[in-house]
Amino acid sequence: MPSDPPHGRAARLEDLLAHPLLWRAGHAARQPVCSSGFARLDEALPGGGWPRSGLIEVLPVRFGVGELKLLLPALAALTTRPEARWSAWVAPPLSPFTPALLATGIDLSRLLIVRAQGKECLWALEQALGSGACDSGLAWARHALPRQIRRLHLAAQRGSALGVLFRPRASAREASAAMLRLVVEPLERGVRVTLLKSRGGARGALDLTWGGAYPGAGGCP
Amino acid sequence: MSARRTIDLFARRDERPSARLEQSLPTGGHERASGAGQRAPRPAAPQPQVARGNRTPPAGRAARAAAPELWLGLHLTGAAGRCAPQGLQRLAIRALRFTPRVSLVPPDGLLLEVHASLRLFGGVEGLRRALRRECADLAIAGSLAFAPTPLAALAAARGECALVLQDAARLIGSLAPLPLRVLRWPQEVLDRLAAIGVRTIGQVLRLPRAGFAQRFGATRLADLDRLTGRAPDPRERFEAPVRFRCRRELPCESASHGQLIAALAPLIEALERFLEARQCGVLALECRLWHRHAEPTRCVLRLADPLADAARLTELLGERLRMLTLPEPAHTCELRAGEPVPRALCSSGLWQSGEHGGVPEARGSAFIERLRARLGPEAVQGLAVVPDHRPEAAWRVTEPGACAPSAIASGDFTAARPLWLLPVPRPLRQRDGLPRYRGALRLESEPERIETGWWDGRDIERDYYEAVDVYGRRLWLFRERAAPHRWFLQGVFA
Repeated sequence: MPSDPPHGRAARLEDLLAHPLLWRAGHAARQPVCSSGFARLDEALPGGGWPRSGLIEVLPVRFGVGELKLLLPALAALTTRPEARWSAWVAPPLSPFTPALLATGIDLSRLLIVRAQGKECLWALEQALGSGACDSGLAWARHALPRQIRRLHLAAQRGSALGVLFRPRASAREASAAMLRLVVEPLERGVRVTLLKSRGGARGALDLTWGGAYPGAGGCP
Repeated sequence: MSARRTIDLFARRDERPSARLEQSLPTGGHERASGAGQRAPRPAAPQPQVARGNRTPPAGRAARAAAPELWLGLHLTGAAGRCAPQGLQRLAIRALRFTPRVSLVPPDGLLLEVHASLRLFGGVEGLRRALRRECADLAIAGSLAFAPTPLAALAAARGECALVLQDAARLIGSLAPLPLRVLRWPQEVLDRLAAIGVRTIGQVLRLPRAGFAQRFGATRLADLDRLTGRAPDPRERFEAPVRFRCRRELPCESASHGQLIAALAPLIEALERFLEARQCGVLALECRLWHRHAEPTRCVLRLADPLADAARLTELLGERLRMLTLPEPAHTCELRAGEPVPRALCSSGLWQSGEHGGVPEARGSAFIERLRARLGPEAVQGLAVVPDHRPEAAWRVTEPGACAPSAIASGDFTAARPLWLLPVPRPLRQRDGLPRYRGALRLESEPERIETGWWDGRDIERDYYEAVDVYGRRLWLFRERAAPHRWFLQGVFA
C-alpha cells in the first residue's frame, strides 16, 4: 500500500468517518436524504435533508401558512429525476393550482391526486408509500392514531418513499412514530420551523425566508 | 365477327338464352380468347387464360359433385342490421346450431352452408322457419335465400328475392333478373354500367370477359366468377367468442371475506390458466355470490388494462369484496369473465421495482388500480395545465401520467399565483368596502386585472389582490368589476 503524504491523513480519516456503513452516536440517522432546498433547514435536519424513506409529520398552525412551500423544492427534485416514481397527494383540502405547481419545477406527469375521505385517506397513503411505486406520498389527515402513524412509517421504509403527513398543530401533544415532527408558523415573507422531534438531529426553531419572491410565485418580483 | 365478340362467355349453364349458345360456345370461346391474345397483348391478359382454365368443365363439375354445397344467405334489413354489429354476431352464435360453417359478411350479411343439415332440420322449409324464429327472437328483420354459391345466396337475399335453388345448373338464369346493386360494387362502377345500359346481373354476365375486365377491373370479374361458381369462394368461418364462467360451492355457508376469497382462489387460478392459454386478459370480471334466500350478490370489477395475473386479480377482487355487505351468508360463488382481450405480453424485470437497480413499476399501474378498485375510478387523477388566463380554466384533471412533461413553459405569469385554488370562489363579507375573512384582511399588492372569456360564455372581469389574514396566511382575492363589486376568496398561497 503506498504511503500517503501526512497532510492527506486527516482527509482520509474524514472520508472513512463519512462511510455510510459507519454509525456514530451524533449521526444516528445516517441514511439517504434529499436536500430541502433551504440551506439553514438542511443544516438542522439529520443527515442534511429530508429523509428519502420514512414518515415525517408537518404540523402547521393553520392550513396554508407555508407548509407546502417548505416541501416543494424537495418534491420538485424528486419528480424531475430521470427514474422518478409517483408523487401521490392524498386528500388535499383544496385543488392544487397546476400553473403555480409547474412554476415551482414539479413534473406534473409524476403527480397523482387521490381523493379519499376519512380513514380511506390513511389507507391510500399506506398503499402509496408501501407500493414502491411512489417517491413521495403526502396526505392531509385530521386524525391519526399512534399505531397508524407507525404503520405508515413502516410502509414508507418498505417502499423507500418519503411520507409526509399534514396534521393540525393541536396533534403535537400526541405521541408519534414519525422520524421528524415540525411545527410551521407563518412569518412575514417566510416561516418559522420548530423541530419537535428529530431522530438523530437537533431540535429547536429556525426562521426561513422565501428567497426573493415567494416560492410558488413563478419567479417574479 | 362482331356478333362473336359479344358471345355470352358467362352463360355456360344459363337456362333460357343458353341452350343455343352453349353448343356453339366452347370452340367460339377458345377461338376468341386466343385470338384476342394474339392480336393485342393487353394488361388484362391473364383473364382469358383463367377463363380457359376454368372452362375445363369435367374436373370442376366432378369436384362440385363430390362436395355439393348449399348456402343460405341472410340479409338483415331495417335499422337493427345496420346499427348493431352485436345483433349480427348474436344471430351468428344462434345460427351455429344449424351448421358449423357460418360466416359473417359485415355489416348486415350472414352466410350458412347448410347442405349437410337439410335432412336434420326438415329441408329448406324447415330451416327457413327455424332461422326466421331465431331472427324474431332477436327482433331482427331479414330476408333469406338459398343458392349453391355464397355470393349468389347473399345477392339474392339482398335483392329480396326468395330464391331456393339447389341445382347449380340453373343458377345464372335465376340470378339474371337481379339488379346490379346487390353486388355492392362502388357506385361509380354501377353508374358506368348503367350508362351502357347494363342494369341487371343477367346483362352484365353477357358482356365479354376480357373487355369487362379491362374496363371495370379484374376484381369485378373475379366477383362474377365467384357469383356463378366459376371460381371458388372460400369464406372465413365465424368462431363464437369464448368466455370464462365457473361456479363453485363453498365448503360451508359463509359471509367471511377471507373464506370467500379462499373459495374464489381456485376459480381465479382457473381463469388465469384459461387466459394464459389464449394470451389474453380480461377487462371486466364479475363475481356472483348465491344466498339461500336473498337475491345473488353481484360484484363487478372493471380494469384499465387487460389483466391475467391471478395474484393481482385476487387482490383487486378482494378489495371489491371487502366493500360489499352481504345480506346473508353465501353458499355458492361464481366467477364470470368478460370477453378475453389480447394483451401485451412482456417479460418481467430481474429486480423488484424500487429495489436497487430495479426499474420503476410500469407506470405504477398496479398501485393505481388497487386505489381505484377501492376508492372508485375517479378517485385517482393526474393534473395538467391548460393555456388559459382565467384561473379556474387554467387546469384540468387527466389520466395519471398523461400530462406532457413540458406542456407549457413555466413562469408564464406576470404576477404571483397561489398553490391552492378553491373549487368555487367563496364570497367574502365586507366592511367599509374592504373584504373580511375570519377577521380583517390586509391587502398587500397592486391589483392585477384578469378579464374576458366571452368565447366560451365564462366571461370574467376581476381585479385580483393578495391579502394577509390575521393568522398570517397569504390569500388570493378578487373584486368583481361589475356593479355590486363583491369580493371573493379564490386561492391560498401555501
